[in-house]
Amino acid sequence: MTVPELPPRSSDDGNSHEPAEDALGGHTVEELSDYLDRGCTPPDPSIDDSPECQIVLESLQRLRAVSLNLFEEDVKVESERGFSWVGSILDNIAVDARAGRDIPVHHPSPSAHLVMSEGAVRGLIRAAGDSVGGVLIGSCKLEGDVTVPRASVVVTVEASVLWGERIADAADRIRGAIYSELMKHTELQVEAIHVEIHDVLIARTRPTTELETP
Amino acid sequence: MSEASPHFPLDTADDRTLVGRAADGDVRAFEVLVRRYGPLMRVYASRVLGSNDETDDVVQDAFITAWQQLPELGDASVVKSWLMRIVSRKSIDRVRARRPHVDVDDVDLAGPESATPSEVTEARSRTQALSIALTHLPEIQARCWALRELAEYSYDEIAAELDLPATTVRGILARARKALIREMEEWR
Repeated sequence: MTVPELPPRSSDDGNSHEPAEDALGGHTVEELSDYLDRGCTPPDPSIDDSPECQIVLESLQRLRAVSLNLFEEDVKVESERGFSWVGSILDNIAVDARAGRDIPVHHPSPSAHLVMSEGAVRGLIRAAGDSVGGVLIGSCKLEGDVTVPRASVVVTVEASVLWGERIADAADRIRGAIYSELMKHTELQVEAIHVEIHDVLIARTRPTTELETP
Repeated sequence: MSEASPHFPLDTADDRTLVGRAADGDVRAFEVLVRRYGPLMRVYASRVLGSNDETDDVVQDAFITAWQQLPELGDASVVKSWLMRIVSRKSIDRVRARRPHVDVDDVDLAGPESATPSEVTEARSRTQALSIALTHLPEIQARCWALRELAEYSYDEIAAELDLPATTVRGILARARKALIREMEEWR
């Protein structure tokens, strides 16, 4: 293992570890730090061609590398310590903040006023899309004045598919599943369902034989 | 953990999917983000705070803010750095509340107890040596170091966060780096 080295000392007083600016060709450690932070661009020959500056740059670079290693190790230790702190975070977020608009639902009694929240409808859409298998729905948008009974809407969902799925087929199945779920639970007039596939993922745990399933 | 889709567990989803779902109100997707980036944020907050005592509170605050603001996050691919910004802000607020009128120069220049190189020398690894060396830094230096090296803030951003002139930040960071390099030299 190499050890971070200090640049040549300005004097031999055994006390000061500061490199002399003379020795660094007029550059200070601050300047070399900045140079490193800039990715050593634009190239500065007065730094690049100075052995003394290069020694300081190497020390600084090594320090940066060790810093990142330390951070990674700390994060690993932290992860291994467990996730007991997650629960209280989830208990404290305001879930109803995502309710969105009220979507009316018809009821035989004229005195009854039923609504579904937009958030709940987005939840239905996600679950329907996820249920087709091999895909995961991302964001979901409902366009149209859904607060009006039997409003006409355009649904746009993002989705990722597992590698091996035929993208066009996956999009069709997502569309079908969402459509039938909306027909079943809402009175929205579905004008169109747009499926935007934004990612194709390699399954981590899925057996390879299942990748062929259409 | 969360089995959202047959063969496609939520915890294998990319950030964009998780951010989209969490912004739409999917708490399980948010939980995956919390587990994915929480440990990083906890370690980082502890470095900025200088202790572990307030880490739970600060990280919880950060995630509550993140949940509220997720729908406004335009580009889901930056969620990690976005979360780091939020937890930085929360940590710095906490440090400020602790001691409202810190004289930066005092804190920086007075320095801590003189370093004990033997501890560094005895470190089992290079990273442990650095970890010990960091405890010897004055608070403000350790904080600037964390903002710069761990959260990758620019000098100007650190200056804005800490209400300091950028030139002061530059000097503080240079002193921190020199001190760390010097201490690391002791480790062999």
